[in-house]
Amino acid sequence: MPTARQLEFESLIAPHLSSLYSTALRMTHNQNDAEDLVQDTLYKAFRAFDQYQKNTNFRAWAFRILVNTYITAYRKAIRQPQKVSYDDLEEFYLYKKLDESISLQETAKEDFLENFFEDDVKDALENLPYQFRLVVLLCDVEGFSYNEIANIIDAPLGTVMSRLYRGRKLLQRYLWSYAKKRGYVLDEKDQ
Amino acid sequence: MKKTNKKKFDCAEVEKRVQAYLDNEVSDEELLMIEDHLSYCLPCDKKVEFEQKLKDIIKYKATENKYPKALEEELKKIIRGE
Repeated sequence: MPTARQLEFESLIAPHLSSLYSTALRMTHNQNDAEDLVQDTLYKAFRAFDQYQKNTNFRAWAFRILVNTYITAYRKAIRQPQKVSYDDLEEFYLYKKLDESISLQETAKEDFLENFFEDDVKDALENLPYQFRLVVLLCDVEGFSYNEIANIIDAPLGTVMSRLYRGRKLLQRYLWSYAKKRGYVLDEKDQ
Repeated sequence: MKKTNKKKFDCAEVEKRVQAYLDNEVSDEELLMIEDHLSYCLPCDKKVEFEQKLKDIIKYKATENKYPKALEEELKKIIRGE
């Protein structure tokens, strides 16, 4: 028979299997690796469960272990941050591009977003350098606050914000390039 | 004396805070000033609405609702110490 402690762990973590797997899948790019990553996370979390303080944020605690496990397992494969200047990434990039695009003058820009293939958004996300991808996933998909993310990735708040904002701007660039490639828009200046 | 509470945000100041605003990470005071600006500035309002929509779409499209049932089995094995 499982002990009360074992059952407590199971009841705390079971509701998060889906979101842990979802994040793992976006980080590893494939189902087998995602499953392995979550499995390792479950092992580690169970072993570390004594260190979890009751009534604190269990979900953030579990994600912190997922992120650590990911970084340890993929340390070698993870590309180092590219030495690219992100300073030229402006706010509202995609909106402004759509605004300039003659083919979209008459259509609502929100409709344009709806028309993206599911895979375009996933691809754009999965192409982001991992540090950016991680914070965008934690914020936009998992709904963690900036403070929670700082705790999960073990980085200062300022780092969380700069990665998140740059990540989103980069994502908008990718989406714009997909839109052009798929012929959703005609950007005359690029032709 | 400077009455800072009478100050209004211009478009650039809203733009600088737009991401934190959409993430519910601005102070109450900033929230009021941003919403005040959006109430009369249609171009900013439209841009912010677009960003919100994009954020929603990222969440919607990147969420996996299915996960391998094998993980539930693994979890049971782990807590049984197998």
